[in-house]
Amino acid sequence: MENSITDEKIIADLLPQKFGKAGKIWVGVLTVICLIGLFAYYRQLRYGLIVTAMRDYVSWGIYISNFVFFVAISLVGSLITAIFRLAGVKWGAPLTRIAEIIAVAAIIFASLIIIVDMGSPERFYYLFTHGRIQSPIIWDVIVITTYFFISILLLYYPLLPDIKILLRFKQKSGNGLHKFYNYIGSFWQGTPAQFKLSEKAINILCITIIPVAFTIHTVTSWLFATTYRPGWDSTNFGAYFIAGAFLVGAGAVVVAMYVFRKAYHLEKYITESHFEKMGRVVVLLSLLYLYFNMNEFLTPFFKMKKSEEGYLNGLFSGDFSVVFWFAILIGIIIPVIILLFRQGRKPLPMFIVGIMVIVGAWFKRYLIVTPTLLNPFLPMHDVPASYHHYFPSWEEWAITMGSLAGTLLIITILARIFPIIPIQETLTEQHEKAI
Amino acid sequence: MENNSRRDFLLTGLITAGLVSGCTPKTDPFEAGASDVALPSGKKVKLLSVDGEEIEVDEAFLKPVPHMPPVSNTEARIGIPGKKFVMVIDLSRCKNLKKCQSACNHAHELNPGENWIKVDPMQDAEHTAPYWEPTTCMHCDEPPCVKVCPVDATFKRQDGIVLIDSDRCIGCRFCMAACPYSTRVFNWGEPEIAPAIASQPYSCETSVPQKKGTVGKCDFCADMTRMGELPHCVSACPNGVFAFGDINQDSVSNGAETFRFSDLIKDKGGYRLMEDLGTKPSVYYLPPVSRNFPFESGLENDKEQNK
Amino acid sequence: MKRLYKNFSALLALALVFVGYNTFAQATPKGDLSIAINYFVDNNTVPSLLVRVKTKANGRFQPVEGVTVNLFLDKDSAGTAIGRVTTNRKGEASIFIPVSVKKQWATSVKHTFLATFKGDKKYEEGKADLTVARAKIVLTTADKTITATVLELKDTTWTPVKGVELKIAIKRLGGDLPVNETPTFTTDSTGQASADFKRLGMPGGKSGNLILIAKVEDNELYGNLSVEKTVNWGIKFTPVNTFNNRTLFATRDKAPIWLQLISYSILFAVWGVLVFLVFNLIKIRKIGGQV
Ligand code: SF4
Ligand code: SF4
Repeated sequence: MENSITDEKIIADLLPQKFGKAGKIWVGVLTVICLIGLFAYYRQLRYGLIVTAMRDYVSWGIYISNFVFFVAISLVGSLITAIFRLAGVKWGAPLTRIAEIIAVAAIIFASLIIIVDMGSPERFYYLFTHGRIQSPIIWDVIVITTYFFISILLLYYPLLPDIKILLRFKQKSGNGLHKFYNYIGSFWQGTPAQFKLSEKAINILCITIIPVAFTIHTVTSWLFATTYRPGWDSTNFGAYFIAGAFLVGAGAVVVAMYVFRKAYHLEKYITESHFEKMGRVVVLLSLLYLYFNMNEFLTPFFKMKKSEEGYLNGLFSGDFSVVFWFAILIGIIIPVIILLFRQGRKPLPMFIVGIMVIVGAWFKRYLIVTPTLLNPFLPMHDVPASYHHYFPSWEEWAITMGSLAGTLLIITILARIFPIIPIQETLTEQHEKAI
Repeated sequence: MENNSRRDFLLTGLITAGLVSGCTPKTDPFEAGASDVALPSGKKVKLLSVDGEEIEVDEAFLKPVPHMPPVSNTEARIGIPGKKFVMVIDLSRCKNLKKCQSACNHAHELNPGENWIKVDPMQDAEHTAPYWEPTTCMHCDEPPCVKVCPVDATFKRQDGIVLIDSDRCIGCRFCMAACPYSTRVFNWGEPEIAPAIASQPYSCETSVPQKKGTVGKCDFCADMTRMGELPHCVSACPNGVFAFGDINQDSVSNGAETFRFSDLIKDKGGYRLMEDLGTKPSVYYLPPVSRNFPFESGLENDKEQNK
Repeated sequence: MKRLYKNFSALLALALVFVGYNTFAQATPKGDLSIAINYFVDNNTVPSLLVRVKTKANGRFQPVEGVTVNLFLDKDSAGTAIGRVTTNRKGEASIFIPVSVKKQWATSVKHTFLATFKGDKKYEEGKADLTVARAKIVLTTADKTITATVLELKDTTWTPVKGVELKIAIKRLGGDLPVNETPTFTTDSTGQASADFKRLGMPGGKSGNLILIAKVEDNELYGNLSVEKTVNWGIKFTPVNTFNNRTLFATRDKAPIWLQLISYSILFAVWGVLVFLVFNLIKIRKIGGQV
């Protein structure tokens, strides 16, 4: 019966915890950033997109970069949960909830940011009432909605057994939260019939989410690849985006693992071996992404078509070269080098690598959008001088930062409400081990 | 310009046919070919004939049609039956006067700084000669901008014109990214228009008034063509750079001269921009050979907007 | 091109003449208007007038919108009023000759049109007149040759006029296409001008019909006259159009079938699964309720 002692310990360890002082400051800071973003958005609603630095040539700016970034991060939900599960990777189990929470938060903000980018957001519903199935935007709207829904289900189903446990601790969770748990999960009794149904559902979900996740990525890349513009007119784009998304998603999970481990003292559950294994995954994904980058840039570079010349030179040696090489180095090459060493796969270096991957990925998304738009086929002419450049205005930065903060806020809140590591699964695993 | 206006003022259709129909979609589109037959409106007016007789004439046959009602959105989306508008831009005549641009900006009440017509200085390679190239919307026959629009806000009509419905546009700017000719402009802020005009209901054919958060571009002056008149840029250019017409009639006119379209293209080696993209533009260019003006003569006029 | 300039300078001259009619303001510097009347008869049917109003601003003539002009036939009196018109955005206004001046019209074959503007807050009063004689064009065709005859009504007989410049063209949108290389023709002593039709193979719609047009433009004596005649000299032509076909650039209700099939089947399959999973949840819920 020493098992039950361990059980109690596990449960106590994994129960969601109230915010400490640091937690409160963290939430406060995020809220402030969000509010600043909201204020900037209010200004944008009032005066129009003129408050941004986007103009006729650079008609998409960091909002769209940010959108692509969010979509990319959200892919991680399917990676960790579905692919690991289907491939029988057992060690991934403690990471599934983190991955799903990140996915849900990112996909929410992906859809919000696309509304922010619209010139006439009050007509958003036209997408549903007048939608044209020929337009890749409509495809994107459809898959984002679908993916959001699947992600919610995939978060919810595995939560049910945990909620049953949570309900036992009314004292700890407080009245409000207890009611909430009661509302969403009181029907779960843990009977074999229920387990069977839920097990089946999770399996189906894991299978469904993979093609949908691939689609959301591919379709997002098609928003660019269905145009003629230099740098976007590429058949490689779908795969290139998916590879990039896997990488940044994995990076985000690593960062979240580290932070939660530290904040909630989960060293026993998220072990060094998890970091070690995630490190290998990140190396693999980095190399994959590097491969697609080569595909994307080497062949056009070799040909140097006239229409692409300005764009490519801008990236390799021109105005964007600093950002470009920064993104390649920080986002791909240096992480690979660090992670090749065993020491590099320890938690702290992994955390740094994760941050590097994420930052690199964000700038990469910026490079996907802007340089192309600044290299149109016909010369930029008969427009005000400011149209020839693009540097985001403070409103754009504020909204972008606000959306990033918002994502973190959602992740934080979800982690406050739900156990960040599936309790029931951990228990089951312990029992299996004991036997 | 004078020629034009005179031409509009015709009393047509009594004996043969009107120049442009009263825009009734019911007309058999292909009977027209040479020119359309207006359907009688049933409303007769009594007028004095040149012989001093009293005669009754159906209103629909009068030109200009007295009080032509603005066409409905549905009609504006269908376009004029039997027509297929084309434009020919003769690069050998252009000296970057930008009269086309100012006439266009004025007629469409564009926000200051916005241009639907741009006149680009082009030099294709190091040792080729520079020339001025006015660009408008190409009214592509397979328009990439229309393909990507999520809400049917931009559309292709049967007469070949690509228009924008600003009451529908959600401002996603996908069309701007998709257009390889970079012709579309966006109303980033509230456009500076006289309040009387800004409060008018938007018409797809006049593209007036432009609205905040929606996209705009050259509309081939669909309202003018409906009346049988030439677009504003065509009549504004003193050098006759632009010629406009109906390819189904095989003719284009710059106001002063009228050409047989096929002969013009054949004799001068007409071409379209970026043919390799497969967008099938409706705007043809005549190469800048035997020019009327040296390239340099246009430089002065370019300074103001392109500092 | 030259022609365009010629026309413009003619108009300029005309405008300058009318400036002479204007009186000058004493106190506020009001603008001066130049008013011009043009006379049109098409197909020998209903005569009409086109009034153009311009003013000089920044050294250039600009059309003036919203100017109301009274028009009279021969003399400024109530009985001979043609009507009142207001200029549009292009500074133009037009009117047909109404039945009310029938009596006056019958008095002569030559008429003078008068235009008066009373003056308003912005512009000084202005006047213009135009005198035209009755004339007509007769268009005949034979074996791809077109003959236009210009006749003037002298008392009661139509007499041929020599030396009138006219155009013979195919009627087209936006401009009329000359039937051969000669841009204009001049009538001979029999009042005739002939042109050979050289535009072979012109598309003439479904029926192959072309409309020929002969026109006298801005003639000092006769104004603007034109006549049309339909001939069967074009080729039959039915345009093909992709409009309303199922294409990627068609409207939403014309989406290609293959696209709809693919996208909707994927959509239904995936959402079918999701709906099933939601029902599954409900099932789990029910089981929970029973226990
Ligand atoms: S030129 Fe551009 S805006 Fe015009 S029809 Fe073609 S793609 Fe569309
Ligand atoms: S900006 Fe307007 S017209 Fe252009 S694609 Fe979006 S909704 Fe359509």
